[in-house]
Amino acid sequence: MAIFTTLTNANSAVPLILLLILNLLTPLASSLSSDSVVSELSALQSQSSTGVIHLTDPLLRRILSLPTPRPFHFLLFFDAQSLHSKAELSLPTLKSEFALVSSSFYTNNPDQKGLIFFFEIEFQESQSSFALFGVNSLPHIRLFPPSATDLKKDSIPMDASDFSRLAESMAEFIESRSRLSVGPVHRPPIVSKKQIAFIAIAILIWTPFFLKKLIAGNTVLHDKNIWMAGAIFVYFFSVSGAMFNIIRKMPMFLLDRNDPSKLVFFYQGSGMQLGAEGFAVGFLYTIVGLLLAFVTHVLIRVKNRTVQRVTMIIVLLVSFLAVKQVVFLDNWKTGYGIHAYWPSSWQ
Amino acid sequence: MAALDTPQPSTLRHAFGNVLSLFILLLIGVLAFSIRLFSVIKYESVIHEFDPYFNYRVTQFLTKNGIYDFWNWFDDRTWYPLGRVIGGTVFPGLTLTAGTLWRILNTLNIPLSVETVCVFTAPIFSAFASWATYLLTKEVKGVGAGLTAAALLAMVPSYISRSVAGSYDNEAVAIFALIFTFYLYIKALNTGSLFYATLNAIAYFYMVCSWGGYTFIINLIPMHVLLCIVTGRYSSRLYIAYAPLVVLGTLLASLVPVVGFNAVMTSEHFASFLVFIIIHVVALVYYIKGILSPQMFKVAVTLVVSIGLIVCGAVLAVLIALVASSPTKGWSGRSLSLLDPTYASKYIPIIASVSEHQPPTWPSYFMDINVLAFLVPAGIIACFLPLSDASSFAVLYIATSVYFSGVMVRLMLVLAPAACIMSGIALSEAFGVFTRSIKFQLPGVSQNSPVNAGDTGTVIQNDVVKTEKSEDSLKERPSRKNKKKEKDKTERASVVRQIEKRLLVLPLEASVIAIFLLVLLGAFYVVHCVWAAAEAYSAPSIVLTSRSHDGLHVFDDFREAYGWLRHNTEVDDKVASWWDYGYQTTAMANRTVIVDNNTWNNTHIATVGTAMSSPEKAAWEIFNSLDVKYVLVVFGGLVGYPSDDINKFLWMVRIGGGVFPHIKEPDYLRDGQYRIDSQATPTMLNCLMYKLSYYRFVETDGKGFDRVRNTEIGKKYFKLTHFEEVFTTHHWMVRIFKLKPPKNRIRGKTKKAKSKTSSKRSGTPKKNPWH
Repeated sequence: MAIFTTLTNANSAVPLILLLILNLLTPLASSLSSDSVVSELSALQSQSSTGVIHLTDPLLRRILSLPTPRPFHFLLFFDAQSLHSKAELSLPTLKSEFALVSSSFYTNNPDQKGLIFFFEIEFQESQSSFALFGVNSLPHIRLFPPSATDLKKDSIPMDASDFSRLAESMAEFIESRSRLSVGPVHRPPIVSKKQIAFIAIAILIWTPFFLKKLIAGNTVLHDKNIWMAGAIFVYFFSVSGAMFNIIRKMPMFLLDRNDPSKLVFFYQGSGMQLGAEGFAVGFLYTIVGLLLAFVTHVLIRVKNRTVQRVTMIIVLLVSFLAVKQVVFLDNWKTGYGIHAYWPSSWQ
Repeated sequence: MAALDTPQPSTLRHAFGNVLSLFILLLIGVLAFSIRLFSVIKYESVIHEFDPYFNYRVTQFLTKNGIYDFWNWFDDRTWYPLGRVIGGTVFPGLTLTAGTLWRILNTLNIPLSVETVCVFTAPIFSAFASWATYLLTKEVKGVGAGLTAAALLAMVPSYISRSVAGSYDNEAVAIFALIFTFYLYIKALNTGSLFYATLNAIAYFYMVCSWGGYTFIINLIPMHVLLCIVTGRYSSRLYIAYAPLVVLGTLLASLVPVVGFNAVMTSEHFASFLVFIIIHVVALVYYIKGILSPQMFKVAVTLVVSIGLIVCGAVLAVLIALVASSPTKGWSGRSLSLLDPTYASKYIPIIASVSEHQPPTWPSYFMDINVLAFLVPAGIIACFLPLSDASSFAVLYIATSVYFSGVMVRLMLVLAPAACIMSGIALSEAFGVFTRSIKFQLPGVSQNSPVNAGDTGTVIQNDVVKTEKSEDSLKERPSRKNKKKEKDKTERASVVRQIEKRLLVLPLEASVIAIFLLVLLGAFYVVHCVWAAAEAYSAPSIVLTSRSHDGLHVFDDFREAYGWLRHNTEVDDKVASWWDYGYQTTAMANRTVIVDNNTWNNTHIATVGTAMSSPEKAAWEIFNSLDVKYVLVVFGGLVGYPSDDINKFLWMVRIGGGVFPHIKEPDYLRDGQYRIDSQATPTMLNCLMYKLSYYRFVETDGKGFDRVRNTEIGKKYFKLTHFEEVFTTHHWMVRIFKLKPPKNRIRGKTKKAKSKTSSKRSGTPKKNPWH
């Protein structure tokens, strides 16, 4: 989920070319009928590939000058180029998802083009507008119903939960608040059609060669050591709880709250684990079995007795310590007191 | 069983070994059965938890009315007024098994009640499962590994958690069916016998009857077949083992009503059909290779490969078109979340929210398979040295199941048998090496005495024969005579190897230490398993106990309440409660419920959730429209029972609000915090759940101190207007309220008031979704 952060006022000169072009396009007449604004917006919208219109201060002023109820809803995405680098805000992702909703809406409902407009507004260009809306943290998306007069009160901000599932939840938000149905979101495929065709051709060409090799029996697949390594790796990967780390996006370690210079690698409590912790224990799980296999299959073929003896002692010591360490960590982490049951007469 | 498969049944020594292993197996069965009896000893012989009660009730119906009525059973005691078709929506394997057991016992004049049979079904099948593990592991790596694996499985905590006495659930028999199906597949693969292949299809049918997890089998076996083909291990035995399974298995599977045409329509099964086609193409290639000269074959290969490719391509295209035409690509959400682990958390919150579907952390592995986690890698490596068809299957099984268990903690149950097999192999190999080292180096024992070739010798020999057999897997299966000759050859070879192996020993004292440590590891495993069985997994959750300074307290409130309902209400009365208690109410109180644990109708559950979150009057109207007479709430505030309805209440609000938007979660939260003390919101303090839970609660201690939430309740003195308390159990854990009849409510008021209320009732239809 996105983290909200306060906007900084550090800004630089922004290239205002787009702004200038828009100004040139703007007719000078100040009193405008809603029709002309709508047609202008439609023109702007069709110029943009996704249907999202870049909102400038003058354009906003003219939209707001229209008498309420306006003939359309509009949805505003507040953007700040300077914050695109902050990964935890995921502004670029949201922006592209916003564009996706917009393009999906226009493809699904070509007859309702004038009923809702999608805008984006840039912080460094339009700080005054940001102040007008009372927006001081990003990410922020707002829906303005036709009747909205007061920018702050009458508009509906999108909750964090509404863009948590990206375009789909944004579409649901629009549907629930504006009664306009967005329809299915059309995501561009991950690989383009040309790429698919290329891959398909490559596979087709490669298959006969592979089959020939396969029948001859000399591919990597026939090397059992690779399979062995693969199986061991899958095992290590799973028992270390790496899936948990991926699904929950756990960090490898935490900073100690009391002492920021120290790192916390092990988390107490069985419901959660840190990345490094999982891999450490997964390594301990795996190493014992590997050493045992080493002793029973490799060491046994060594001729030299002393080498055998020394290696075995080391192996046994390492295995013993590994098991002991895991037992200790488990008791510490889960707090279970595992105990045996002795006959009552022994006590 | 063991006596049939010995290489040299003539010698007394082997006969003794077989009798001994039979005896060990018997003891393992006893161990598997008795370690699961802690729940009966510590508590009593009672069905556990929620779902088992439903299974119990279905079994009762089956034994009373027979199989045809069971098949056509429409249950009107639940999901009132909708009802539920039971016959077509349950996996009938468990029920039929227990019903048959009961019938057999009765014909033998052993008068056990249905409940007793149900309670002990799971332990009995655990014993069967450990025997099946023995058979499977024996096929992979010999008798020694088989016995070790069976002993490990008999007490693996992960399996115990689902199969203690009283835990009468599908998984209890399904794990046995799973292992047994795998055994028969491997047996068919090793022998090339159509008999075992047919049995395999029948075992698969039993698995399909028992558990939705059968899709694991129908994907794992094709994967193994494909693996064998790709790595050049195709043989006619493989064909015999696989083709009948797909044909017969699919036909049989579609006979189960709950699966039906899914057996050919859903993507989970497509892999098996695809591999079915591939194996035919490969079989054709091998056939042509056999009848043509090498030069001719080269010409033919190009032809066959191109034709085969075209056929495969066409079928693939059809399959892809079929799959792509369905919205979820033909995969159920749960299967998808296994393939793409982040899928559920992104798209299906209801799957992601269930605790069983969470990914496990490393302590879960230590809790559920304990020291086996250390031994599995050694087992994997042992399976590769040497690699046979059977051992490659074992490796595939562990690799897939360990990955799946990493995604969903619930699938740890499928991992457990694989981990036991691998650890059994590892332990048996290690013990073999170390005991050999000790035996041949003990001072005072002559090296050449024939007696020394003893136990380990047979195991090794066994292995060698197997390996040789599988190494020439490309050859056709030799005729019996040839086989005998070959066997003689291999036996001679094995004697040579044995002498070689005698030289392969480790230092004596290090081996002694190693054996000591391994035994220590095993002992730790036993201690852990017994502890887990006794402490962690045996609580029936229908009877609770707590130990305090003044002795043991037993809380038997649930059965008290259900008993009260059974004896004090009319047979056709409807009881409303949160869905958790639906199965128990129908099974124990025999009263009709509105919703139960089979959560198939979200709207219905949301209606009950809405009623519980509404003020008294609105709730009364909803319940009255559903013909509800009694409302049952579970309340833990007096004794400190944490999983009560107040703690589940936010889910009721969420689910209710999901369908009826006038219920809003923020109304029940003060600054995002869920609280029931004086800071609580008025909506919270006026909702039905709060009122029913805390009605007269202040009379217990004068302050109304809730021992679960550790706070004094917000609203202490209030009266109920539309409900009346009819029963509260000994520890106040279950409270039953009756809906007041409407005329009582307006008696004594003026006619004007009467007309007012009636107009109000008709004027507020929005609040009541059933008007």
